[in-house]
Amino acid sequence: MPFMEFVNFYLMPGIVLGSIYALGAVGITLVFGILRFAHLAHGDLATFGAFTALGVVTIFGVSPWVALPVAMVVCASLAIGIDKLFYDYLSERPKIIVVMSSLGIALMLRAVVQVVWGVDTETYTRGIVRPDDYWGIRIRDREIYTIIAMFVIVGVLWAFLQKTRWGKAMRAMSDNPDLALLSGVDNRKITMLTWGIVGILCAASGFFLGINTELKPLMGWTMLLPMFAAAILGGVGRAEGAVIGGLIVGIVEETSVLFIPGEYKAALAFAILLLILLVRPTGLLKGKVL
Amino acid sequence: MTSQAIAEQPMANNSMQQKYSGKPILTMADVRGGYGDADILQGINMQVTEQEIVVIVGPNGAGKSTAMKAIFGLLKVRGGSIVVNGTEIAGWKPNRIVQHGVCYVPQVNNIFREMTIHENLEMGAFLRKGDIYESLERVYTLFPDLKERRNALAGNLSGGQRQMVAMGRALMLNPSLLLLDEPTAGLSPKYMEQIFEITRNLRNAGLSILLVEQHAKQALAFADKGYVLAAGNNRHEGTGQELLADREVAEMFLGG
Repeated sequence: MPFMEFVNFYLMPGIVLGSIYALGAVGITLVFGILRFAHLAHGDLATFGAFTALGVVTIFGVSPWVALPVAMVVCASLAIGIDKLFYDYLSERPKIIVVMSSLGIALMLRAVVQVVWGVDTETYTRGIVRPDDYWGIRIRDREIYTIIAMFVIVGVLWAFLQKTRWGKAMRAMSDNPDLALLSGVDNRKITMLTWGIVGILCAASGFFLGINTELKPLMGWTMLLPMFAAAILGGVGRAEGAVIGGLIVGIVEETSVLFIPGEYKAALAFAILLLILLVRPTGLLKGKVL
Repeated sequence: MTSQAIAEQPMANNSMQQKYSGKPILTMADVRGGYGDADILQGINMQVTEQEIVVIVGPNGAGKSTAMKAIFGLLKVRGGSIVVNGTEIAGWKPNRIVQHGVCYVPQVNNIFREMTIHENLEMGAFLRKGDIYESLERVYTLFPDLKERRNALAGNLSGGQRQMVAMGRALMLNPSLLLLDEPTAGLSPKYMEQIFEITRNLRNAGLSILLVEQHAKQALAFADKGYVLAAGNNRHEGTGQELLADREVAEMFLGG
């Protein structure tokens, strides 16, 4: 197979898919690191974000790119609200109860999507977009934007975590929660901030999945496993690791069809997850041991 | 003046009052509490006055660390009063106690391992909105080793240096009372001497320090005051020298 064919049909779609996974995985890794539980509603929150953007597009007739920030704000508020109503209420209970409640939240979010938008497949825009050719690399504009947006969003988040007072407090909370409290960090504020960021990331990942494929009520749920695999592969609690993990899972999934039947594509995330837990449970970048 | 009166009230029957007449920073009176339902502390009385090193010694399980955690709001205080700088703080949350001028260095897990030394110190000053440059310089002057390695991850440091990071972090808020829980545990004699030296310097610079220490003899030698706890109760108290000279204390608690 010619090299450019590999790049155009396997590598580039893998990077695009990986960018979408990465946006979700960064959120998962933040929840894991700071709030210390596996957030199973992550995928459905992404679905909700994608459909919120669709709602904005259909009601106001604006471009999907205008709808994205609106969906981000809605998802961030929703995530903070869910935490206030459910997760915070359960915060003193064993973590497994919070994990299970997040599964319940996932089902509730999906039900809301199905009630409001129905169970059919939707798209942001109609018509076929042909890829453009850039020195032999065939790629659609929306795919370029997806990759750029992922790096910009995660880059801004990374700078926030490294350079700002509250970003450092989030890292401190992830590193040593007891000591963070002793240093006067307000647990509630950090939790709300984390959920706000997670909501933004979820909306982005759902939106980019929607704009590159279609919107389905199950779109986020099916992304959950690859996103978790990406977060654990990168090292739990490491945002930059989640990006690397997301890209690897995306590229492996897309190139796997060269070697194994396409039906097994979805199982690959699971295989990666098992392998990393067996070989290097801390992930590629040294993260927390679960 | 009224605050002073409140602070002294619970200590009315304490003979220490006459011996040490400095301004009280911390007064614990009949403090009871523990984890879960069992009371580990069964009525602890202690006082730390201005610019004083107070050492708590006692056998394992005596409630030394527990007493310190009680001050810092890390366990349920079921009775008695804890007054700091004239204000009753029993039942307060740790982050409020920090703002009230009390900083605490736990015995273990007392640094942010995945953050640099510099970031650890910045986290110590989290509650301060303004410029922290002066505090940073002060801590770096106290611990020159830390300044050299300011961008190193705290988790990669040696035990002694980690302890310095932990103490430096606690000093960033310019507390009036510093609680140190076994700062020399597991350290080499060289680092132990260094930590003790720094503790004395901090006292001389005006800070009040409450110290739980397993190296009881060395600590009592420079302590202004010591309390011997056993089974959650006060057993003995006196100046460091008095306790070192006391035969019963020496036999029972200091290993003869």
